[in-house]
Amino acid sequence: MAEDRPVTVAIVEDHPVVVDGVTTWITADPETRAEVVASGDDLDAVLAGPGGDADVILLDLHLGDTVVTDRVAELCTAGRRVVVYSAMDDPETILSVLDAGASAFLSKHEARGHCVDTIVAVATDRPYVTPSVAGALLADERAPHLSAQERTALLLWFQSMSKASVARRMGLSEATVRQYIDRARVKYAKQGRPAPTKTALLARAIEDGLIRADEIHEYRSHATRGE
Amino acid sequence: MSTEPTVLVAERYARGATIAAVVIAAFWHLGHDLPVTAADWSVYSRQWAVLAGWLLYLLVGVAGSVLLLRDGPRALAWPLAVLTLAIDVLLVVAAPDETILLPANWAWGSVGWLAVILFWRHRAAHLVAFVLADTALLVVGMVLVGASSDLQVSRAIMVLLGAFTLQLGYSVGAHGLGVAAGWAARSSAARAQATARRAAAEAVAADRTRRYYELHRSTAELLGELAAGADPADPVVRHRHAAGAARLRRLMAETDDVPDPLLHELRAGADVAERRGVVVSLSVVGTVPELPVDLRRALTEAPIVVLSAARGTARVTVVASPDEVAVAVVADAPDVRVAEHPAVRLTQDRDEDGLWLETRVAIGGADG
Repeated sequence: MAEDRPVTVAIVEDHPVVVDGVTTWITADPETRAEVVASGDDLDAVLAGPGGDADVILLDLHLGDTVVTDRVAELCTAGRRVVVYSAMDDPETILSVLDAGASAFLSKHEARGHCVDTIVAVATDRPYVTPSVAGALLADERAPHLSAQERTALLLWFQSMSKASVARRMGLSEATVRQYIDRARVKYAKQGRPAPTKTALLARAIEDGLIRADEIHEYRSHATRGE
Repeated sequence: MSTEPTVLVAERYARGATIAAVVIAAFWHLGHDLPVTAADWSVYSRQWAVLAGWLLYLLVGVAGSVLLLRDGPRALAWPLAVLTLAIDVLLVVAAPDETILLPANWAWGSVGWLAVILFWRHRAAHLVAFVLADTALLVVGMVLVGASSDLQVSRAIMVLLGAFTLQLGYSVGAHGLGVAAGWAARSSAARAQATARRAAAEAVAADRTRRYYELHRSTAELLGELAAGADPADPVVRHRHAAGAARLRRLMAETDDVPDPLLHELRAGADVAERRGVVVSLSVVGTVPELPVDLRRALTEAPIVVLSAARGTARVTVVASPDEVAVAVVADAPDVRVAEHPAVRLTQDRDEDGLWLETRVAIGGADG
């Protein structure tokens, strides 16, 4: 994907007022890093139009009376980058969409400050951990291989929603804090079913030096040891 | 669990069957072995041996019953069983001839009742092993005294089968009924638990419905103001709407179906703050374990004080695991002064984003 054009986004959401709100956040970005190319309340209709080529799909889990959680796996298996956007931000929901291959999760109460950053990170297969995802990762009983620092960073990020505060409290730089949090997220990509989006996330993490290839192998052996 | 009435019934039932096993052995020995011994007294060539056998039976029976009813060491069962088998030998010694298969040799059929007592708390295989040993001794005895005619072999089979069906049947049957009583008790306890859970879920739902109606009213009021021409650009109007939206979001985000006192206290604190117009978010991760009241109060007190001092926004988080619970609040609030609790670690911190306060308690262990 070219770095010099804005990331294209398709919004699947049944409330026009929310579509307008998210579009406003995206167009208000001073660097114009993203643009909305399609929107609507029907996933298939959005994908049939210009949304079919969008870099990122922003998907509300509740469309009318239906919950589309099961469509997430289908989209991710097809290689689509999905950011799930929902008011249902309990750890179970978050972990299940991450397991299905969703690149990121935005809770409605935190969306404003994280929306554009999440979309931009996801478009380049980089991790983006919102505070709600940090909470869900903490709740995950299958993730015993987080280091103490990674756990602390996730916990403080979940509590405070401010990386500057986390950095100050841990006596680290903001960049290091982000690294701990992102590493925890990348480790989680080894959980659940495989998906092209997870492979891309891991590959990019190795490329960026966030983790080493042999570390991935280590998680896999942890996971297969049976918990 | 053991105080459940249904479980008590099952326990009493099991004890009844145990006592019956003891009573059967006692009656058999006094009502069958004793009269037979007396009637055939002249048949025995060594009368001391039959007397010793009868007394040994009594001794093992008393010892086995005491062990069983007082829940003594199970390891003593086999040593006592070997003594029981010695009764077989004593009765053969008392009359080493074809008497071995006549009623005067009462040992073959009777010792099994002692074994029922001795192996009551063991798997059925032990009782079967004893029965086989008893049979082996009879076969050896028959060979030694030369009792091997067809008639004598069929007599032996009659004696053993007659006794063993009763003994094994009683033991296995009584235990089977004991297991069934256990099932009944457990399913009844599970039903009671399900009823309790449903009552709890209904209480939670009723509470939510009440809050929903309250919110319904206040939201309608806000929307009515907008319709009547309130200016959405007015910061005061916007803030009130943001607070109302936060309350709705918080109500919808609740997924727990069991009343949790810790969350209940925090929600009550959040409600009060919201009524003052503070935008509150409350996020919970993990299941809060049951906590003693004083510990729970110590965890929630400081965060609630911060909530009550918040001016515009507050974020409350609960992170619970089986061994730790951490409650934190980030709010634009002044520093607060709160009483400390020895088991709760309290941390306060301030930066440009406001006050961050955390209370944390380690469960089932000392916290540094």
